[in-house]
Amino acid sequence: MARIGVFICHCGENISATVDVAKVAAAAAKIPGVVHSVDYKYMCSDPGQQMVSSAIKEKNLTGVVVAACSPRMHEPTFRRACAEAGLNPFLCEMANIREHCSWVHEKGEATTNKAIDIVRTLVAKVKKNKALLPIKVPVTKTALVLGGGIAGIQASLDIANSGHKVILVEKEPSIGGHMSQLSETFPTLDCSQCILTPRMVEVAQNPNITLYSYAELESLEGFIGNFKARIRKKARSLDEKLCTGCGLCCQKCPTKKIASDFDAGLGMRPAIYVPFPQAVPNKPVIDREHCTYYLKGKCRLCEKVCPTQAIRFDQADEIVEVEVGAVVMATGFDIKHGDFFPEYGYGNYRDVIDGLQFERMASASGPTLGEMRRPSDGKVPEIVVFIACAGSRDPAKGIEYCSKICCMYTAKHAMLYRHKVHHGKPYVFYMDIRAGGKMYEEFVRRAIEEDGVQYIRGRVSRIYERGGKLIVKGADTLLGARPMEIEADMVVLATAGVANPGAEALAQKVHISYDSHHFYSEAHPKLRPVETNTAGIFLAGACQAPKDIPESVAQASGAAAKVAALFSQDELIREPLIAVVDRQAPPLYSTCVGCFLCQTSCPYQAIEKEEIRGRDGQLIKTVAKVNPGLCQGCGTCVALCRSKSIDIQGFSHEQVYAEVLALLNRGESDV
Amino acid sequence: METLRNKARELLASKTVQMVIGYGRGSGEAAPARAVFIRAAAEAESLIFDASCQQNLAVYLMKPEVRQLGKAALVATPSALRTILQLAAENQVKDHDLLALAVDAQGEVTPLATLQTIEAHVAALDCNLSAGEKTELQKYVALDPEQRRQFWQEEFARCLKCYACRGACPLCYCSRCTVECNQPQWIPVPAHDLGNLEWNVMRAMHLAGRCVNCGDCSRACPVGIPLYLLNQRLLSEVLANFNFRSGMAAKADNAMSTFKPDDPEDFIR
Repeated sequence: MARIGVFICHCGENISATVDVAKVAAAAAKIPGVVHSVDYKYMCSDPGQQMVSSAIKEKNLTGVVVAACSPRMHEPTFRRACAEAGLNPFLCEMANIREHCSWVHEKGEATTNKAIDIVRTLVAKVKKNKALLPIKVPVTKTALVLGGGIAGIQASLDIANSGHKVILVEKEPSIGGHMSQLSETFPTLDCSQCILTPRMVEVAQNPNITLYSYAELESLEGFIGNFKARIRKKARSLDEKLCTGCGLCCQKCPTKKIASDFDAGLGMRPAIYVPFPQAVPNKPVIDREHCTYYLKGKCRLCEKVCPTQAIRFDQADEIVEVEVGAVVMATGFDIKHGDFFPEYGYGNYRDVIDGLQFERMASASGPTLGEMRRPSDGKVPEIVVFIACAGSRDPAKGIEYCSKICCMYTAKHAMLYRHKVHHGKPYVFYMDIRAGGKMYEEFVRRAIEEDGVQYIRGRVSRIYERGGKLIVKGADTLLGARPMEIEADMVVLATAGVANPGAEALAQKVHISYDSHHFYSEAHPKLRPVETNTAGIFLAGACQAPKDIPESVAQASGAAAKVAALFSQDELIREPLIAVVDRQAPPLYSTCVGCFLCQTSCPYQAIEKEEIRGRDGQLIKTVAKVNPGLCQGCGTCVALCRSKSIDIQGFSHEQVYAEVLALLNRGESDV
Repeated sequence: METLRNKARELLASKTVQMVIGYGRGSGEAAPARAVFIRAAAEAESLIFDASCQQNLAVYLMKPEVRQLGKAALVATPSALRTILQLAAENQVKDHDLLALAVDAQGEVTPLATLQTIEAHVAALDCNLSAGEKTELQKYVALDPEQRRQFWQEEFARCLKCYACRGACPLCYCSRCTVECNQPQWIPVPAHDLGNLEWNVMRAMHLAGRCVNCGDCSRACPVGIPLYLLNQRLLSEVLANFNFRSGMAAKADNAMSTFKPDDPEDFIR
């Protein structure tokens, strides 16, 4: 006979303000099988938990219902309290009378009655609960970090320094990401490369880190602690072991006029190239789309000059299979390019450039060696207009969010320009200046007050060319929307930060969720910002949303801490709320008929085939079996199984049916 | 007809198969053909094939007592051939488990020994709904939801819950049917309005993306409920939304259990 204890929580006033908790407790006491029913101000407090555990012992309870908040909040708390009192934790259920009742209804009898109904359903359920034992799965203590920008580098170093192996995968020939392209960084104006490259070298030298550059994730299968990843190492067309990075091949390559991605299209590079001098690894790749040999079948000059005979024209992509226990997504972001701004002539006028191009122009290692020279004719621009929010915060363009970094880097750009062209005049068109961050506001003030950057609050409607000048037409909204026209030599657009083009496909590959802009979704916007909804996969950096460097680094360290915590144990304890396939005595063995519809439906590849054989080894039946390590308890297979041969532990047909019946038979005696 | 009998004799005599499942004359005046199980060459006389031979004999492939008798040759109408492929896709039939004797309206017999040859044979068939079926289905679909509800309420009111539709269906092969689950009893046992509705809706849904439209459920129904309307509606929905036709390949993803990013529908994205 069931002996159920019901514990009603006031949650301070969160519940008791709208629900008559004493009445709920009194009603619960009358439900058949309930032998103990009390209410208390804070059930989750120490004395509250004490009430639960002493009732278990004194009244010999066989099940506990805590009517309080969402199980997401305190189910672990109360299950632990039950376990400490000697009751199997899975015999404890939460009745959510806060989120599902008190928070969403007005004070009144109907609200109290609903709370009673919720309690009654859970009492009916808990009577059908069975004691369950947790599942233990081994953990592979190697992390896979996708993306070798500053976030990926930081995460890799932090994980490696906590003593675990890291596999870092970067799709470009070198790690470094967008940060390696930047000239100086706000708000300190220290050189980006100078602070980044030591970290890159550290990655290369750390014995715990295996770096696969010029590589991409092919597939990811498995589950937390036990992922299997296949990595495609794209053919560099050279033997990395032999190559010393001397650079002779790059110097001699006859094809030199290829727009360099690293220089944001402003500079040129040869067909065999290293993206930038500090690249890690410092080994070139052959760009097969532009290499004369791949296009026309002859040349092979690089092969002839290579002192170590490292060139391999016939090299094929290689697939590497690795086992990892956790994944950190640090795939970064991109900025809007192309025909997104026809009204600004972007892509049409060569002197209308984007922020990344300005970074390259201002960088000492850039195509102009850090001199301000506009792309069209190489002249020093005398008047430069910076346009913030180019695309961002613009629902008409489909990007309603703030790209967050543009206010700061636009101030920085204007400042850098002024430092290099003392007589130059920088103008900034802005909507609002968002400079929240340590020393950020001061930095913007410095641009305005010390470096004489003229800030105009207003938007630019159009840019067109007239007599070698770019005419910027805008309005100054602080002067009564006075129309403005500036004859500029160069215009820099702070284009919106967007997700990488491959972000959606990659998210689908690793089974994580993403938002409508293809930025990856965190598990909880406030309390779980570095986790995804897929256990064992974490987020770092701008793949989640546009972020500046300190934020990316902080999040990367956060993700690394999560990975290190996961790897701190040899076995992972998982809740046993998983699917199980029916097993019976012979001659049926199982009601499963082996149609394996469940197998095709399982998003986690958790369903296996099991052959039931007689003592003579003869195959009697092939039936489905759930791998407890892989199953996430989603229940898709349960819904599909025609013979109802699969059940979810903790949410069984019997339990759910009892709940439904308890609701339907309101006020009548219990089943 | 004689070709069929000779083929059966030959197969049984050479012990290629232990049994031929075919059609025989039913008893009584104007009785429809019924299934016969020929286990000796001498019994092949009773095999017939004519317009009355409509039953989908593939249903017997899934009966344990028939399976026990050994490898069978099956006189197979187009529906039965598709059923065999669907059963193979659901891991119920393996290659070389049986020999299909495909018959057409002219009495031509084509022995098909492998699933691959069955696939090739089926690919050449017209598997669309017939003109008559289409007209009837369109008439049904044109009803508004309230009229449709009323229509089924009247039809299901006659349902006796005899489960003849289940017994006749070659794809209702579960060793324990949902309606027999009584812990808990999701589908009520009595033949009242709610129970009848639940049973019939569940039966149709369990066939969504699987039914090959053989029509045996409706033929088996002693009170003449047009169950084929539900099945045909579902199979045209599956065809329209997922570009999927059941019983065309021995290895096929199930329309109801798989998600493909390039499915025509996009509500899930």
